[in-house]
Amino acid sequence: MARRGGRRDQRLTMAAAPVLAVRDLSVALSRNGRSSRVLEAVSFAVAPHEIVALVGASGSGKSTLGLAIQGLLPRDARPEISGSICVAEAELVGAAEPALRQIRRSLVRVVPQDPLSGLDPTMTIGRQMAGKAREREAIAWLRRTGIADPERVARSYPHRLSGGQRQRVLIAMAMLARPRLLIADEPTTALDVLTQAQVLETLRGLTRAEGSALLFITHDLAVATSLADRVVVLEAGQVVEIGPVGAMLAAPQAAATRRLLAARYDLGSDRNRPLPAEGASVAWPAARRDASKVLELVGVSKTLGRRQVVHQVDLSIEAGESVAVVGESGAGKSTLLRIAAGLTKPDAGTVTRLGETRPQIVFQDPVAALTPWLSVGEQVADRLRGLGLNTAERRRRLGEAFAMVGLPESLMAALPGELSVGQCQRAVLARAIVVPPRLLLCDEPASAIDMPLAAAMLNLIGALRRRLGMALLFVTHDIAAARLIGDRIAVMQDGAVIEAGEAEALIARPATAHTRALVAAIPRFETAR
Amino acid sequence: MTWRELLRRTGWVDGLAVVAVLLVTLLALAAPWLAPFDPQLRVAPAFLPPSASHWFGTDEIGRDMFSRVLLGVQGTWLPALAVIGVSMVVGSCIGLVSGYFGGWVDMVLQRATDLFLILPSVLVALAVTATLGPGLINTMLALMLFWWSWYARITRDEVRRLVARPHFEAARATGIHPARLILRHLLPGVMPALAVAATLDVVNVVLIMSLLSFLGLGQPAPAAELGAMTARSLDSLVAYWWLPVIPAAAIMLICLVANLAGDALRSSLRGS
Repeated sequence: MARRGGRRDQRLTMAAAPVLAVRDLSVALSRNGRSSRVLEAVSFAVAPHEIVALVGASGSGKSTLGLAIQGLLPRDARPEISGSICVAEAELVGAAEPALRQIRRSLVRVVPQDPLSGLDPTMTIGRQMAGKAREREAIAWLRRTGIADPERVARSYPHRLSGGQRQRVLIAMAMLARPRLLIADEPTTALDVLTQAQVLETLRGLTRAEGSALLFITHDLAVATSLADRVVVLEAGQVVEIGPVGAMLAAPQAAATRRLLAARYDLGSDRNRPLPAEGASVAWPAARRDASKVLELVGVSKTLGRRQVVHQVDLSIEAGESVAVVGESGAGKSTLLRIAAGLTKPDAGTVTRLGETRPQIVFQDPVAALTPWLSVGEQVADRLRGLGLNTAERRRRLGEAFAMVGLPESLMAALPGELSVGQCQRAVLARAIVVPPRLLLCDEPASAIDMPLAAAMLNLIGALRRRLGMALLFVTHDIAAARLIGDRIAVMQDGAVIEAGEAEALIARPATAHTRALVAAIPRFETAR
Repeated sequence: MTWRELLRRTGWVDGLAVVAVLLVTLLALAAPWLAPFDPQLRVAPAFLPPSASHWFGTDEIGRDMFSRVLLGVQGTWLPALAVIGVSMVVGSCIGLVSGYFGGWVDMVLQRATDLFLILPSVLVALAVTATLGPGLINTMLALMLFWWSWYARITRDEVRRLVARPHFEAARATGIHPARLILRHLLPGVMPALAVAATLDVVNVVLIMSLLSFLGLGQPAPAAELGAMTARSLDSLVAYWWLPVIPAAAIMLICLVANLAGDALRSSLRGS
């Protein structure tokens, strides 16, 4: 990754008055009538020109902190705030709404997580950015964020743009006000790796050039370290570590930081053993393999509307083998997975599956994949019906499935809404393996969740497929995850498989420019500073 | 959204409405035992105004009005519930099949539903009861004939909405039996919307049934029927006000209670 410029300038300006100074900030929010501390004695500062990453697992309070800095804590939660938040010497705590509005208008701007909900669907981009008067300025900003044809984008409605373009529009919109502080709340989680790398580069470039400070909220330490000058690590509402990126990577002080580092995987992680997210691990046992083909796709094509989403794909998976399909969003990999599952019929080509149990699918969003009004135990047990098992037998198998995915049996009667995301994930896996299929299909199961959960998911899938002898088809945009989970990797672009081979060999010697780009886009720790 | 949550979220005003519905139902069920006099027999002089011995007075032939109104509530409330219940069962079955299978099944069933939806309900009910002859069963049959279509449409739309949700696709992809898929993964998701529609709908059935008996197409003469009682005594409104006003007030009260319960359900659902 390119070295950033301006490091020396930034050292010089450190002594200047900070753009953001948070001192001894505590916030309590009440939910269902119970008040609970979300932030506890948080203190840190952001100097002009500086990029600070606010890192923490989900539930650590980082988004609450982001909202507090905008004076936007939800009023229903009756926030109790103590301490001080100063933006460019204006105090936010206790300020009246008009003053807060003024601060939001000119001093603090935000790039939200979900680009689509940040845009008004009924207005063109140009109109909502600036109105008639400042349209030329808006177009100039769009160009600076790396949008190739800003005039067309300014005339378009949000739904006509890609995810990456929308995020750039929001960055341009935020920069248009020339804020002193830009807050980016997980701005790249909804984007694929290539777009993510480009958006991060844009954010960094603009911050350096414009002299705004950037507060970057993320759960991903690698993204944080590749972008920021300093890192603030939050856990359970408290700052557990704060300091320059290099020092933190070289010698992490807090247990929470070490946990985040351990959960982080990249192209250098050891793929012969589980990720060390849950402590030290022993090497994977060898998977039970044989040469019978559990899935064979020959010349499979599919057209949706006028677009050919899958084009002449050949793919076969042997029993016990794990194949990862990598590609950008829109590469056709999810359609390929649906064809493999039998949910979508291909227009041409043949699909051959082995085994009576139909392939099971683990979808991207584990909470949305569970029926909200049925207990998770009932949903897992659904698959045990019609097998001629008696009640005792069914109970035993259900208990085994829960044990295998590491869910306590006491949660069998719980509704999905009462579980955490990590627990829903495990419940979805339990449903998939309660009657083990020959082939398990995973659609981006580790991309919509934060790092520690993603690491746990990858470990669990790896363990289950070896233990139960399942073949695996794993679809992802993250080539680092693909390398960890797949024996082989197939790279898809525009509906076609452009490259396939043994995972390590393919990443070490990519044959196509696209694969090289995917490999280069994976954020890496810059330990050698 | 589950029934458990629904109960937890219900406020005390809404709770009161639900209690009122239960109370009216209980009153209707127990009417024959609660009534102090036989509603069909002359028990006192005619045209007695409301008093301690006859709470709602007596009518033109000396029958006890309180007993007659109680039986009238039974004769209106219970058939209304029956009409709604049967319509809900028939309609939701058709809606579930239509929404789950989609394609030409949906097409055929929904066009059939359209046909019943566009019929002018009151006119058809009039025609049917006029043909079959007046009577409680005939009135109910006439209403059920087209009332289900409304529920079929609601169910079908809800099912289409649920079928597109990721949790349903995930459940379907596991390969479980379609019957289980429909009964456990779809039906409970449709029920809240159906229940809201049904409670608000009670009023419509009550009013149409009252209208039919007001027009003389309800139950024949000696039966205590709120609509008919109001209609027959309307010309004595000035001289003996309690004869038309009390049965009319009973109709109004029933409608009010049903409406409040419907609103309670709706507001507790909106939070989800």
